[in-house]
Amino acid sequence: MTTASVTTTQVYQLFIKATPEQVWDAITKSEFTTRYFYASRVEIENGRRRAYGPNGELWGDSAILEEDPPRRLVHEWQGLYDPELAAEEASRVTWEIEPQDGGVCKLTVVHDRLEASPKTAASVSGEGWMHVLSGVKTLLETGEPLFAER
Amino acid sequence: MTCDQKVTYYRGIDDDRVFKALADPTRRHLLDRLFERDGRTLTELESELEMTRFGVMKHLRLLEDAGLVVTRRSGREKLHFLNAVPIRLIHDRWIDKYKERHISALVDLKTQLEGSA
Repeated sequence: MTTASVTTTQVYQLFIKATPEQVWDAITKSEFTTRYFYASRVEIENGRRRAYGPNGELWGDSAILEEDPPRRLVHEWQGLYDPELAAEEASRVTWEIEPQDGGVCKLTVVHDRLEASPKTAASVSGEGWMHVLSGVKTLLETGEPLFAER
Repeated sequence: MTCDQKVTYYRGIDDDRVFKALADPTRRHLLDRLFERDGRTLTELESELEMTRFGVMKHLRLLEDAGLVVTRRSGREKLHFLNAVPIRLIHDRWIDKYKERHISALVDLKTQLEGSA
């Protein structure tokens, strides 16, 4: 298999059997994010999206650009958990939640504005986001985390 | 439409459609092209295939229905992005499960496939 060139726009989409409100809570409330988002405690407050590691270390502190619950959340992204990533420019993450028939939601995550942040692009690409997204699907559909909790 | 059928439809998106979409060399080729470089237009994808524009569109539509390709508008252009999440979910559901059981799993799979044929 050839190696993928890292693109400046990454798109991930999946269907989750949950209401838009449940998906919204799962991506914005720390009691959920700690169970699938690399154990990070995400807090959405005063126009910022902050993420803390298990020992309270600051993993992310980015501006919220749009907040329209339970449909759309747009925020900047800068990985403070790694000095090399922290040194790169902020990129952008867009979460779109679209209700479908049958109590199912379509969740689309677009990570873009990565032109000036190649290390960030490589680190979140593929496995990085898929770990998060298959984790949120499993948590919402089964009530159990996909990966063992730390 | 009853609730049951909707549930079936939802299950269908997850597995059957992905397997069907992958069961074609042209569609796998399109996914490989997007894996190499994401965010391409129909014109770009078409230029690498000995196929009519309509044919490529049909394959892309099937990939989109299976959730393997997601399109986004960028100005006047429609860009195609590879969405690997459905393949990952199938991997978690079908491959991981069998990986631990090695040979016996292969036997199970063979029995299962032959039994359902």
